[in-house]
Amino acid sequence: MSEPNPTADATPAPDDWQALPARARTLFVGSTALGFALAATVAVVVLCLGARPSWLSWLLPACVLPAAAFGAWLGWRRYRHTRWLLDGDGFGLRRGRLWFSDTRVPGSRVQHLDIRRGPLERHFRLATLVIHTAGTRHSEVSVSGLDAADAERLRDHLARQTDDDDDAGD
Amino acid sequence: MSWLFVLLQQLKQFVVPLLVLVFLGRGDRNQLWSLIAVGGFVVVALWRYLTFRYRITADSVVIDSGLLERSRRQVPFSRIHNVAIHQSLLHRLFGVAEVRLESAGGDKPEAQMRVLQLDDAIALEALVRRRGAAVAPATVAAETMAPADKTEGRVLLALPPAEVLRLGLISNRGMIVVGGAAVAFSQLNPQLPDDVSDRWSHGLEAFFGNLHFSYGQYALAILAALLGFAVLLRVFSVALALLQYWGFRLEEHGRRLTVERGLLTRLRTSAPRRRIQSWTLRESVLHRWFGRRTLDIDSAVAENGNQRRGLRELAPIATAAACDTLVRHLLPGAAWPPERWQPLHPRAWWRLSLPGAVVALVLAAALCWRLGAWGLAALAWLPWAVFVARQHARRAGYAIDDRLVAARSGWWSRRWRFAELDKLQALELRQSPLDRSLGMATLWLDTAGAASGPLRLRYLPLAQAQALRARLGREVARRPLRW
Repeated sequence: MSEPNPTADATPAPDDWQALPARARTLFVGSTALGFALAATVAVVVLCLGARPSWLSWLLPACVLPAAAFGAWLGWRRYRHTRWLLDGDGFGLRRGRLWFSDTRVPGSRVQHLDIRRGPLERHFRLATLVIHTAGTRHSEVSVSGLDAADAERLRDHLARQTDDDDDAGD
Repeated sequence: MSWLFVLLQQLKQFVVPLLVLVFLGRGDRNQLWSLIAVGGFVVVALWRYLTFRYRITADSVVIDSGLLERSRRQVPFSRIHNVAIHQSLLHRLFGVAEVRLESAGGDKPEAQMRVLQLDDAIALEALVRRRGAAVAPATVAAETMAPADKTEGRVLLALPPAEVLRLGLISNRGMIVVGGAAVAFSQLNPQLPDDVSDRWSHGLEAFFGNLHFSYGQYALAILAALLGFAVLLRVFSVALALLQYWGFRLEEHGRRLTVERGLLTRLRTSAPRRRIQSWTLRESVLHRWFGRRTLDIDSAVAENGNQRRGLRELAPIATAAACDTLVRHLLPGAAWPPERWQPLHPRAWWRLSLPGAVVALVLAAALCWRLGAWGLAALAWLPWAVFVARQHARRAGYAIDDRLVAARSGWWSRRWRFAELDKLQALELRQSPLDRSLGMATLWLDTAGAASGPLRLRYLPLAQAQALRARLGREVARRPLRW
């Protein structure tokens, strides 16, 4: 019953699953590293509030650099294991390896779509696609680091599907 | 008369400051202030009353309201998921009711008429029922041919007083009273708990000191106190159940379901059958002793804290057979209960017993550190956790056909959670590192307004989970959303 590698086994046709563009890697690695570095800085400063300032000068880099490196590694993994898919049934998104999740949003259940582009994403020609459903827990499925053109293509395709059965929404 | 109720609604929010003003502000000037405040509220209430208008058009309710900023709101009948008629004791004295029209989502009612004559309220409800049916999609037109216009519906379930009493005994509603009382107590007088506990402990010391209790007698006294508390809890529960569920009636008017209940405050909610998003059937140990179950539904009307706005309880208490009949009646053509439940992954019990095992180990470690070798006694929890997990895994399972998907779980307290395939939203397959090493996965099936927790098929063999995900994905994509 047990299968050693679900990521490989689950794929019906491996090339259907799209990876994020290489440009997104910088963003993933950079943002996660920065997040971890900031968290580590705050933690060190708060914990050593009473200590001598000279301690901070070596303690800060000693804690923050490894944290940033760990963050970068996590970001890189996150980037590598994110895959999306658009097929006749709707949209699919795979995330993570250790904590694996495979989300499907059937085309008939898409309520509305957003594309968000921050300044950094705009610089890298990337976009975040947010798919809204009427559900509770997964009422918002968001994919960041998509190629801007891909995101728009996805949005247009999924929006067309919701138009088709609009009369049934009543 | 409406302004009176608006005023009361506002006064309710200000009742504490007002009381403080009246009773603590001992001086003419302060009393004057409170009078001015009440006067202000009266003016606002009258203004609201004078500016609120609603009218019925061919396919919607139009509401004009606003003090300075006028707003017009148009609510199509077909978007109204739930009609709630609320009658407090005061409403009943005047023969009026409050009406709320709810649509899917949103954190407040789509439209709220504070006061309508009861007849008008019922008429409005009937109108929404009829008009909503008229504009409903063609697929349900056949159902609307059923006697939809009759005001007298068919009673699907009515709770006689004895059943309400049982409901009180089963439910733990009494905890709400106890908890609320404790919070109110500590809020009203922050220094009271210390004070009281001091005085009580002194009193108890004196009392017990005089009597010279032995250990056995102490144990007996504590036992008696616990027993007394349990009895008190049940008494509160029964009282609350009588207040809330007195005269509970579930009726069917054509396609709509209507629930009426309440001893002092009468509540009447009504929603179309097809707005039901998912179902939950529960059976606790107490339920089992009485041979009863509880049937709840989720509708797309958003829950707002503890205020239940949508139709929620189809059968607060009913026999297992009655619950099953009700489900079969409301889901015609569905096979309930399923003939065959698919088992979980053969090693699911292992996964289920893990949290208990970890707790036992941590507890044992902590106790060993404090008490020495005696702490190892905590390890006795381990076999029990494994036993419970095995029982749970043996009973848990899932079932799927082309109409319904269902999951059952629990051993002491059992739960059946099911939904129509039409009502499923996003699907997610998940695996933790541990799941992966055991070759299992959990499938989360999202539905709208899932207030009773997610519908999930836990710890399936990976291949089965993947096949199910693919099958459900195909099915759901094929079916248009009708909520």
